[in-house]
Amino acid sequence: MMNRRHLLRTTACGFGSLAFNAMASSPLADRHGHHFPKAKRVIFLFMAGGVSHVDSFDHKPKLDELDGKMLDFDDARVVAKTGMGAAQRVMKSLWPHQRRGQCGHWASELFPHMGSMVDDLTFIHSMHTEGVAHGPATIFLHTGSTAFVRPSMGAWVTYGLGTENENLPAFVSISPSMGNGGPRNYGTAFLPPVYQGTAMGRSGIPAKDSTIRNVRNELLGRAEQERQFEFISKLNRAQFQRSAAKNGGHDPEVEAVINSYELAWRLQNHAPEAFDIAKESEATKAMYGIGDGLASDNYGRQCLIARRLAEQGVRYIQVNYSDNSNNPAWDQHSNMPKHAEHAAAVDKPVWALVQDLKQRGLLEDTIVWWGGEFGRTPYSQQNGTGRDHNPGGFTVWLAGGGFKSGHSHGQTDEFGHMAVQNKVHMHDLHATILHQLGLDHEKLTFRHAGRDFRLTDVHGHVVHDILA
Amino acid sequence: MPEMALEWRFCEMRVFPLVLVLFATAVRADERLEHFEKEVRPLLLERCIKCHGPEKQKGGLRLDSADGWKAGGDSGSPVVPGDPVASRLLSAVSYANRDLKMPPDSKLPEGAIQALNKWVTDGAVDPRTGPAVKKSGNVLTASSHWAFKLPQSTPPPKVKDQSWVRNDIDRYVLAKLEAAGLQPAPEAGADVMSRRLSFDLLGLPKGFTDLESALKSKAFAERWAQHWLDAARFAESSGGGRTLPFKDAWRYRDYVLESIENDVPLDQFIKEQVAGDLLPHRTAAERRRNLTATGFLVLGAHNYEEQDKDLLRMDIVDEQLDTIGKSLLGMTLGCARCHDHKFDPIPIRDYYALAGILRSTKVIRDPKENVAHWIDAPLPMDGDEEAKTLADEKHMAELESKLADAEKGLKKLTPKREPRDGNRRPLALDEVPGIVVDDASAQKVGAWVQSTRYPTYVGEGYLHDQGAEKGALSITYTPTITKAGRYEVRFSYTSTAGRATNMPVTILHADGEADLTVDQSTLPPIDGRFISLGQYRFEANGQAYVLVSNEGTDGVVTADAVTFVPVEQLNELAAADDALVKSNPELARATAEVKKLEQEIKAFEKSMKARPVVMSVAEHEDRGDTRVHIRGSIRNLGASVPRGFIQAAYHEGTPVKMPSDQSGRVQLAEWLVSGRNPLTARVLANRVWMHLFGEGIVRTVDNFGTTGELPTHPELLDHLALYLQQHDWSLKAIVSYIVSSSTYRMSSRAVYDPADPENRLLHSQRRRRLDANALRDTLLLTSGKLDDLYKGPNIQKAIAAKDSNDTGVLNLEYGYVFGDTRRSIYTPAFRNKRMELFDAFDFNDINQSIAKRNVSTVSPQALYMLNSEFVINAARSMATLIPQASMEAQLDFVYREAVGRLPTLEERQLCLDFLSTDPTVDDWALLIQSVFASPDFRFVD
Repeated sequence: MMNRRHLLRTTACGFGSLAFNAMASSPLADRHGHHFPKAKRVIFLFMAGGVSHVDSFDHKPKLDELDGKMLDFDDARVVAKTGMGAAQRVMKSLWPHQRRGQCGHWASELFPHMGSMVDDLTFIHSMHTEGVAHGPATIFLHTGSTAFVRPSMGAWVTYGLGTENENLPAFVSISPSMGNGGPRNYGTAFLPPVYQGTAMGRSGIPAKDSTIRNVRNELLGRAEQERQFEFISKLNRAQFQRSAAKNGGHDPEVEAVINSYELAWRLQNHAPEAFDIAKESEATKAMYGIGDGLASDNYGRQCLIARRLAEQGVRYIQVNYSDNSNNPAWDQHSNMPKHAEHAAAVDKPVWALVQDLKQRGLLEDTIVWWGGEFGRTPYSQQNGTGRDHNPGGFTVWLAGGGFKSGHSHGQTDEFGHMAVQNKVHMHDLHATILHQLGLDHEKLTFRHAGRDFRLTDVHGHVVHDILA
Repeated sequence: MPEMALEWRFCEMRVFPLVLVLFATAVRADERLEHFEKEVRPLLLERCIKCHGPEKQKGGLRLDSADGWKAGGDSGSPVVPGDPVASRLLSAVSYANRDLKMPPDSKLPEGAIQALNKWVTDGAVDPRTGPAVKKSGNVLTASSHWAFKLPQSTPPPKVKDQSWVRNDIDRYVLAKLEAAGLQPAPEAGADVMSRRLSFDLLGLPKGFTDLESALKSKAFAERWAQHWLDAARFAESSGGGRTLPFKDAWRYRDYVLESIENDVPLDQFIKEQVAGDLLPHRTAAERRRNLTATGFLVLGAHNYEEQDKDLLRMDIVDEQLDTIGKSLLGMTLGCARCHDHKFDPIPIRDYYALAGILRSTKVIRDPKENVAHWIDAPLPMDGDEEAKTLADEKHMAELESKLADAEKGLKKLTPKREPRDGNRRPLALDEVPGIVVDDASAQKVGAWVQSTRYPTYVGEGYLHDQGAEKGALSITYTPTITKAGRYEVRFSYTSTAGRATNMPVTILHADGEADLTVDQSTLPPIDGRFISLGQYRFEANGQAYVLVSNEGTDGVVTADAVTFVPVEQLNELAAADDALVKSNPELARATAEVKKLEQEIKAFEKSMKARPVVMSVAEHEDRGDTRVHIRGSIRNLGASVPRGFIQAAYHEGTPVKMPSDQSGRVQLAEWLVSGRNPLTARVLANRVWMHLFGEGIVRTVDNFGTTGELPTHPELLDHLALYLQQHDWSLKAIVSYIVSSSTYRMSSRAVYDPADPENRLLHSQRRRRLDANALRDTLLLTSGKLDDLYKGPNIQKAIAAKDSNDTGVLNLEYGYVFGDTRRSIYTPAFRNKRMELFDAFDFNDINQSIAKRNVSTVSPQALYMLNSEFVINAARSMATLIPQASMEAQLDFVYREAVGRLPTLEERQLCLDFLSTDPTVDDWALLIQSVFASPDFRFVD
């Protein structure tokens, strides 16, 4: 019986030059962008539903001072419907804030672990975006458009840079939600399908039971499968020789098919191991908050898988903290204290991921991006105990990847409602992340239906102030 | 020094008063210049020029020279010297205009705004010279572009090799080959022709016998309807975050299938889709067709959640123009929404001339709905059926009105109802059915006062707002729901005179939010304690709450408990109710009457044939010309544009005048299919060619503009466009004409010829790939599982719904399991979730009109062939169909069925080696799967 290594060697001999040629022209081949990159990959920690910035990293003493007072605000939802603002009840942060780290950045007790690493982070407090509801805002975050169907950011990045490891998918979304755009948030739209994100599991399925579709044949034993793959290779070669005979030994189309099988076979043999955290030490698992019964177990596993993928050269990794409902996890329209449950699930894993990347020397060329599709209002929704969506001002943070550390950029108004100083639109954030990857957002275009499309449409400015 | 100068000036003043005036102006000009240089110029440089200067001219505006701002941008000049109020610059920098805030990243400091104000007030002195942005005026310069000229009839060229010619198509092709010194490839063999014609005409690996029966077959309709559905961006859900199923879209699909099956002339087919609702009709059947056809205008991907309904209206217009442009005109019109088209001679005015027509067309049924909805138009039925349905509908209306009366009567009786147990006592929490959230455990905001005065409360008491501090109090009930399902939400309150009649409540449930009001001045209808707030779906441990506030209320608001009663439990409760009702004959009669009517309605609803509805459009109440939307903004309007068509493609002899009382869609439809329209017939003929040759004569099939490719055979394209028009726009005629040519019948395995590397001259046919539909249908057919049910719906759950926004079907696609085995044209075409095979094998992007599908070769396709359940099951199923025979004959069977030929000697040997001596069904299944995985399965020669 042939083992895998032997098989690969023989197939490699059989198709040696052919496979080599195909590799060189692979649409996923690792390549440079437009300028020298500061980072090679992205890990996006998506906090679906919208974390409250005034309860976490955007400290507003004014809210304590005016807690309970009725004041006029331009509420985004009300404005979209009526074109006017309305009176709202100011609501203070539920968690005490204090200065943390060397930089003295304010952080609340909602995220004690993240608070301990403010010196590693760049905060953007002046984010603003499009879309008042989850659907449009989530799709906008991922594709730069609320209504039109556009490629997702991960697809654009892989289109621009290819991948460092063709034995793994170039773009992986871990536990994506089926709602609020679903697959569109890691889709390619009109970019070639090779840039499609690969979903690992989906939200609702525990990370320990998640897999990639079709990456293994559940019905065949390894030996049977190797025998079949060898047979397929031989059949393909026979057909190639027949069709190429008339073309001086060339038939690029059939070669491409053969090559796709080789790639698939390698993926099939590498991916399961890449996703398997069993070999990680107990200490590492503990660091990520992984353990039976721990609130952070699931997201900890997701973050640890993300680190393993980053290590192995996956270009774009999205780690979703989400669910499948229309009102995703962080969406506390009522009952703000529930934020604490979600914080308990993500705080330690996120901290561990950044620290782990740092200690392995990976942080410097990895962009870690933490944030949601929008923030929340500094006033209570309809006088209740929750906060409504706020696309007009919110906070995200970035780590590694050539960004400043212990830095904050931009401001919201004194309530944390609207971004007012050094505003950063979601388009700008997209442009800036692309910039760090060596991609010029104005040059990263794809001709489709008679026009050149970009992730940032006709917008976006690189935020140079946050670059190290 | 300055003082001296001053003195000197005074001195002069006395002597020459006239000079003084001139001089004083000069001095002030000096000051103004100084103000500009010191305050304004650096400010512009630092904060404005980056986007409005030499590098970028956003909004078509430059601010780096006086001529720049004087010429202005798309919205005109931003500065009116001396008039700060009229100057857009100042409203922009002061952030007074919600839609135009500059600079966009952050507001200027107050001092800077004042500096600009002063500059404008003082006359906007600006010494800077430099260029302004040139306004485009080259609208018609590109009308010499080939596609805008009318197709010309040319005599077919002479060719040397007459024997090769089967029809005129061959003359156009052969003449070019001969001129280039090339030979046409020999005719393909019988096996190859049969497989090619089967795929091209039927979309299946076999079944072609002769042309006439192929064209008549339903399989032909299914194959070619899909081509039009691609161009029409056919889908069965809206896409977007909250994705609404298009429960009646299948009727449009059926309309397309019938049209192709019956060879409805394509000009009529197009007219019906653009203006069917406005066309005359003789029969109900015709009216049904016409209305169903207009689904074409409605099927786009829209964000129905958009809160700005004016924006949604223009977004829909834009999507319709994009689809009409690409599918019929081969033009990308969308670019001209914001500015003159950069490449094609389509100015922004042409866009709004067309947009005026579609803006006068209504798509959204009620702009006040939070989540918008298209129009569901009822269809007329035939003769007796219509009469019966009308009568049924009348009867139903009567029943409903009776029920309303009966309910009113019952309600009148109910205020007298005492709480169920007869004595007005508080209930303990565990006496109340369902999940109970009492006021004590809810989150309260504001100064609620506790009371126990009216003793029908739950728990320890209830809260009230003392009738004061309106808008300042709220209470939020957050349940812990551990079992997903539907629940009736009930709210308990105590009623008396002076209570609020309009207490607002918001319920957040799994499918969104519901807002309603409760009248607390009347007795709670359930046991005198509760009122139902409706039934909703809740997820286990999902987000859920009931939020009560006293905002805008007209009396005292009380708040007690909220309960969530599983709907299954409601029947038990109703039974308990019965006992109470029986003790009061009058109430019993009224209750019985309501119940009887409800049952009658339910039964009647089941028995009567529901009138079908289709997605359609109507004429808008607000009809007429529209104004240019500057930079595409709905709030920045320019000049009004008379409705009309694309000027560059306009030729005399088609309607120009738009009726003032209609949208103009009829005129648009007539123009689209007029013999004086240079584009439509060409675009259609080219697309037919593409489906039979793999490439169009114009390879950019959706783009006939200046950035598209030129036709490889322009005379042939015109010949085909005219052929189509002259043959009554018959699809079957032109398909038959093309496949009868020698050109079509050439082998695709020609020797590679460096003289024509891309085979643009057509020295051979092109090898093609099975598209996603054909691949899936072939796997189903060869495995004996294809369900050949023709037409009709395929998403049972959606058609059962009354409204696409019903919680039962909303977001249906996210959890959908694709399980049917009908042909792929019937596979639910969800916008956010597609069948896996379709994703892997380049199914069309159904979000926009695309006639030509992408063709790719990627490893997920290989993984799909190797490991997917679908392929494995197809192989296993086919293995059971292999007839009892020798292994050699069995192998022949597999190859014939799967790839339409016998195995080669080498393949035969490989297969026999793989199978060994006594193969099991599983061994055969593995072999079959391997053949499925081979290139010859996926290619058509």
